[in-house]
Amino acid sequence: MLLLVIISIPLLLAIVAGLINKTRLVSSLIVLGYLIGLVLSIALAYHFLASPQPISLFNIFYADALSIFFVFTSSIIVFAAALYSKGFIELGLETGQLSQRQAKVYFILFNIFIFSILLVTIVSNLGLMWVAIEITTLVSAFLVGFYNNKNAIEAAWKYLIICSVGIILALLGTILFSYALLFSTGIRSLDWNDFITVAHQLDPNIIKVAFIFILVGYGTKAGLAPMHTWLPDAHSQAISPISALLSGVLLKTSLYAILRYSLIINLCIGKSFSSHLFIFFGLLSLLVAAGLILVQKDIKRLLAYSSIEHVGIILFGFGVGGKIGLYGALLHIFNHAVTKSLLFFGAGNLVEVFASHRLEKIRGCLRVLPFTGSMVLLGIFALAGFPPFSIFFSEFTILIAAFTGGYAIWGSLLLLLIIITFGAILFHFSNVLLGEKPENLKVSPEPWSIKLAFIFLLFFVIFGGMALPGLFDGLFRSIIGVFGAS
Amino acid sequence: METFLVLGLLGSTFAMVFSKRISALIGNFALQSFFLCLFSFMEALKGNHLGLYLISGLILVLKVILIPQIIRYVAVNIKSDENLGFFISPQLSLVCALVLTYLAWLLASTVFMGQPILIRIFGATAFSMVSLGIFLMIFRIIALAQVIGLLAMENGIFLLASAVSGGMPFIVEMAIFFDIFVGVVILGIFIFRINKLFVGIDVSKLNSLKG
Repeated sequence: MLLLVIISIPLLLAIVAGLINKTRLVSSLIVLGYLIGLVLSIALAYHFLASPQPISLFNIFYADALSIFFVFTSSIIVFAAALYSKGFIELGLETGQLSQRQAKVYFILFNIFIFSILLVTIVSNLGLMWVAIEITTLVSAFLVGFYNNKNAIEAAWKYLIICSVGIILALLGTILFSYALLFSTGIRSLDWNDFITVAHQLDPNIIKVAFIFILVGYGTKAGLAPMHTWLPDAHSQAISPISALLSGVLLKTSLYAILRYSLIINLCIGKSFSSHLFIFFGLLSLLVAAGLILVQKDIKRLLAYSSIEHVGIILFGFGVGGKIGLYGALLHIFNHAVTKSLLFFGAGNLVEVFASHRLEKIRGCLRVLPFTGSMVLLGIFALAGFPPFSIFFSEFTILIAAFTGGYAIWGSLLLLLIIITFGAILFHFSNVLLGEKPENLKVSPEPWSIKLAFIFLLFFVIFGGMALPGLFDGLFRSIIGVFGAS
Repeated sequence: METFLVLGLLGSTFAMVFSKRISALIGNFALQSFFLCLFSFMEALKGNHLGLYLISGLILVLKVILIPQIIRYVAVNIKSDENLGFFISPQLSLVCALVLTYLAWLLASTVFMGQPILIRIFGATAFSMVSLGIFLMIFRIIALAQVIGLLAMENGIFLLASAVSGGMPFIVEMAIFFDIFVGVVILGIFIFRINKLFVGIDVSKLNSLKG
């Protein structure tokens, strides 16, 4: 039941946003709605840990530990994005950058987008999961092209076309999976549980081809290199709260889909096939991202490339596998989501004030916007992987898994690439944060809801590294059980 | 009958690759969808299942009539140049199409090893439709051709689904139809926006975001 309430909150809020014309009221209701959603998702997680049985409803919804972890992570980012949106949109209305109508459209699309994201993680039918992922693309394309200028429309078009091609390849993979099931067992189904029950009987050759289509298809949406080309455009041009959702949550939902399929193929032909592919694509993404972060000139594109890097690290962690590798990768999903959202919020504020995306024009942020500046400062150290912030610990865990699990060479390469991006990010942001304050800059202080969103996320960025709540530990252990790691 | 359908599907796909004008491309796409509709109608006759009849009806309404109409409407309203714009000439494209179809046959022979020849042939036709859809998207300049390439890929996938795995569950099939329809409408909206901002729908002009 909790699951149904959680998934219906965004739908209700979308209707509210459509019916009520007072933006302030709507944005406050949305914040309240997602606060309730967050509390309920925590309750759901505790409920699951108390009796660790997968939840199954009407043969459509299915939630095991993996789903619940993704719902929980999404709920946190979504609540922060709702808080930030409130301040961001109200500020846009005050300064005349946005019209009432745009604000209304924004809030409707925002909620439908979140509905589709949550839907991906809780459906049991792999065909419906595909449909939900396609809906995320269709809805968010409008949010990417929200400003309706040349750059935004170009980004939205590339996003739509490249991700649609990717997702069609994923559909091809889905059909091949269903063919394998029909061919080997005579069952006609797209239900994930049916696949898992008979996974060992499936024809390995078909499953291998099918999985490659799935990895390339959903990998396009997850931002894996070399299918990542839409990502920096879309993430940099989208309206800032949406950039945070795209990086923090949307990429992870595609990863979630890949993980679901990897569970089937691992049972069918063993772990080495998916694990090698994961390590290859993970490192390739890191390599591409590291190179482009070094020469980056645009603040939001820099953060977007850093998302490609972190998706690469996560995939590498899953590729290395084992208890430690999985633990690190799962933790990294959460840590990257909170840290990157915080930074996209920060970058959003900076871009508004400096009216430019270009790194060389954004200077002296700690003096111009002390609050946002200090948040970005902490966020950057966290993102680069400084202790004691949370990302350091998850990266460290993945590295330990690589070195102890027989992947020492690839682990060293990972470490090298992490160090390169570490240096590049600190270099770029030292200029942004320090430096002389430009003259004649009109600065309005951040609204309280934006500040609250920062503080909320910062809490996880800092304390996620120092102490891990029992909730995480329980969920992770359950997920590792699902993966059957030893 | 099967031979006729395979020839029709492949022929219309090749005709799409060879098309020089938008109207021809749209017409050939409608033709391809029509053969797909015939195919799914035959499957429905064999299976005698209401859902299958409904699906072939939906293909007829959506893909043969409605979606080509929408695309024509967009093309007329933005007063687009009839010329598709080629990165690769139609003749060379046809050679590429033949090579891709052969590769599709190789892939289908591997994946559907041990299956009746008919399934392998339909599998190969489906793979070839998918790969030629991608080909159209990459090597034609105007944005409308990308939309049609995408739809051709989807047609290929439908063929694969009904030929080799006996179709997908009904609710999933419906949801996918809905998704495709909404997708086309949204792409249409974006084409209008591109046309307005970039004066034309030449996608090679969409090149300011780099690095």
